Amino acid sequence: MASVTFRDVVKKFGSFTAVHDFNLEIRDKEFLVLLGPSGCGKTTTMRMVAGLEEATSGDIYIDADRINDVLPKYRDVAMVFQSYALYPHLSVEDNIGYPLKIRKVPPEEYKRRITEVARRVELDTMLKRLPKELSGGQRQRVALARAIVRTPRVFLMDEPLSNLDAKLRTQMRAELKHLQHELQVTTIYVTHDQIEAMTLAHRVAVMNRGVIEQLGTPREIYNDPRTLFVAGFIGSPAMNLIPGEVKDGVFASAGLRVGGAGHVSIPRAVLGVRPEDVHVANAEDQDVNLVAPIYSVELTGENTLVSLQLGGRLMTLRADKNFAGQIDQRVGVKIETDRIFLFDAETERRVDF
Amino acid sequence: MATRAWHRTREAIFRMLAYAVMAIALFITTFPVYWLATNSFKLDIDIFAVPPVWFEFSPTLKHYEAAFIGQPFLIYALNSLIIAVATTIVSLIFGTMAGYALARFHYPGRWRYQISFWILSTRMMPPIVTIIPLFIFFNFFNLLNTRLAVVVAYTAFNLPFVTWMMKSYFQDLPPELEEAAMVDGDTRWGAFVRVALPLARPGIVATAIFSLILAWNEFLLALILTQTDRSMTLPVGISGRVTQYTTHWGEISAAGFLASLPIIIFALIVQRHLVRGMSFGAVKG
Ligand SMILES: Nc1ncnc2c1ncn2[C@@H]1O[C@H](COP(=O)(O)OP(=O)(O)O)[C@@H](O)[C@H]1O
Ligand SMILES: [Mg+2]
Repeated sequence: MASVTFRDVVKKFGSFTAVHDFNLEIRDKEFLVLLGPSGCGKTTTMRMVAGLEEATSGDIYIDADRINDVLPKYRDVAMVFQSYALYPHLSVEDNIGYPLKIRKVPPEEYKRRITEVARRVELDTMLKRLPKELSGGQRQRVALARAIVRTPRVFLMDEPLSNLDAKLRTQMRAELKHLQHELQVTTIYVTHDQIEAMTLAHRVAVMNRGVIEQLGTPREIYNDPRTLFVAGFIGSPAMNLIPGEVKDGVFASAGLRVGGAGHVSIPRAVLGVRPEDVHVANAEDQDVNLVAPIYSVELTGENTLVSLQLGGRLMTLRADKNFAGQIDQRVGVKIETDRIFLFDAETERRVDF
Repeated sequence: MATRAWHRTREAIFRMLAYAVMAIALFITTFPVYWLATNSFKLDIDIFAVPPVWFEFSPTLKHYEAAFIGQPFLIYALNSLIIAVATTIVSLIFGTMAGYALARFHYPGRWRYQISFWILSTRMMPPIVTIIPLFIFFNFFNLLNTRLAVVVAYTAFNLPFVTWMMKSYFQDLPPELEEAAMVDGDTRWGAFVRVALPLARPGIVATAIFSLILAWNEFLLALILTQTDRSMTLPVGISGRVTQYTTHWGEISAAGFLASLPIIIFALIVQRHLVRGMSFGAVKG
C-alpha cells in the first residue's frame, strides 16, 4: 500500500539539469512506466526514489512521508537494476536471501520464502550456483526474485528486460505483468521500449530531456499525443510527421493536401498521421490527398509497409498483406481526416481543431 | 615467399634478443641470491678465496649455529615478523576504509583529488628527512627500542600507499552492487563489509603482500628506533655483524639468506596476485 509523489523535483549534476520540474503522482498499486529515449533522466528519477541520488530541490513522498532525507534502507523499496547488480560472490540463494538476512528473518521463514520465490521464478534447481554460472535470462530472474522475496512498498525496475533477447523479453514481459497483478505492489518501471510501456503500464509518463511530455494511459498516449515528441516516439512504425502549412483548415505540403481541420491556420505546421490511417487508392480518383511514386514495399507478415516519396521525405502507410504495388509505380493516397493531428512547429504542441 | 622467409628470420632474431635480455635480467637478480646462499654454507676460507669457489666446497652449518645460537637472530626474526604483521594489519584496517571513502563518497569541488594527493604527498619526501623528528617524538613518549614504535612509524609510511591501492581497487568495482545492497536494506557500512570487501579481496591480498615485504625489509627507520636485542629487526641485526674490526660474512650470509627465504617463497606462492596488484596500481594511478 503506497503511493509515490514527486513535487517540483529538480536534479542537477553540476550545471547539467537531468530532471526538470518533475511533478507526478503514482497511485497505490499502480504500474507506472517512465518511457523515454536514452539519457532523458529516467534512471535518475528512479534512483531518487530509491535514495541513491539526492534531489537538488523539490519533495518526494512515499504515501505521506517526505523521503528526501531518508536513508535507502528505511525507504522499503525494492529495485531491479538494468545490470541486475547481482552479488557476484554469493550464490543464487544468498543473493535472493540478502534482503531477508539483513532484516534478520528467522531461519525457517527464510528457507520457506526463498523456496517459494525460487519456485515462482523457476530457479529452484539453481540455488547453489553463482551468478556467473547463469544465463542472462536466469540472472534477470534472480534479480527479480531478490526484489519480490519481501513485500516492499514500491518496486523500482530499471529496464529489467533490455538485456534479454527478443523472445525471452516477450515472455518475461507477460510474467512481469502477471506478477504485478498478483502482488499488487506499486511499481515504477523504466524503459525506452514503447511496446513494453504500452503492454505493461496502467499509465505511461513519456519523458524527454528531463521533463514529462505527457502522462496518460497507453491508449491516451497513443490516440491523443499532446506534443510532437510523443507523437513521433510512440508507435511502430512511427507516425508520419510532415512539415507544411495550414490555411483555413487545409494542410498543404509538396503534393499533399489534407482538409478537415476546422478553420485553423498555422504558418509552420506539422501534420501527423499514423501509417494505419493512410490508405492506398486509385491514382485517378478525384478525392485522393496525394499521388506519389512507391519508394519501397516491405512485407512484415500480417501486413505490408509501403513507403512513398513525398517531397524530400518518405511517407509510410500500412497496406494489406496482399498489396501488389511495384516500386516506382504511382499510387493515390487517402488519409482518414478524422485521424490526423496538427502540431505547431514553433511550440511543438498539438493544435486542436 | 622471400618476404615470408625474411619475416620468419626476423621473428627468430627478435625472440633470441628477448631471451638474451631475459637471461641477463635473470642473472642480475638471481646471482646475489646464489652468492648469499652458497656463502652461508662456506667456511671463511672459501668465502674469501680468490678465484672464488663456485660449487666445490665442503658445506658447513657453522655460520647458522653462530647466528642463531651464538647471536640472538631468532629474536630479531621474531621481532621482524611481529612488526611486519602488525604493520600490515593496522595499515590495512585504516587504508581499506580510507580508500573506500575516497573511492565512493561525494566531495565538493576537487576535494577528492586534493585529499588523495595530500595523502600521497607524505610519500614524496625521503624517509630520512623524518628520522630526527621521529626519534625525538618516540623518545618523548618513552617508546624508543620498542616494537610499538617501529609499527607506528611503518604504519605511517605504509598507510598512504595502502590507501591509494585500495582506492583504485574500490573504484574498479561497480558502485551498483553496493547500491543494490543498500536498497535491499543494508547500511553503507554493511554494503562495505558484505559486498565491497569480499569483492576487493584480490586487492587486499596484493596490498597486504606489498606491505609485508616493505615492513620486513625496511632498514633505516628500524636502525634509528631500535638498538636493543629485544626490539631489533633482522636487517638491523644483520648489519650489526659488520663490526669495527671485522665483518662476519658467514653469519651475515646465513641470517640474510634465511631472512630473504620467507619473502621469496611467499612471492612465488602469491605471484599471481602480485602481478595483478602491480599492473593495477600502474594503470589506475
Ligand atoms: N552521476 C552523474 N553525473 C553526471 N551526469 C549524470 C549522472 N548520472 C546521469 N547523468 C546524466 O543525466 C542524464 C540522464 O541520465 P539517466 O537518468 O541515466 O538517463 P536514462 O536512464 O533516461 O537513460 C544523462 O544525460 C546522463 O549523462
Ligand atoms: Mg537508464
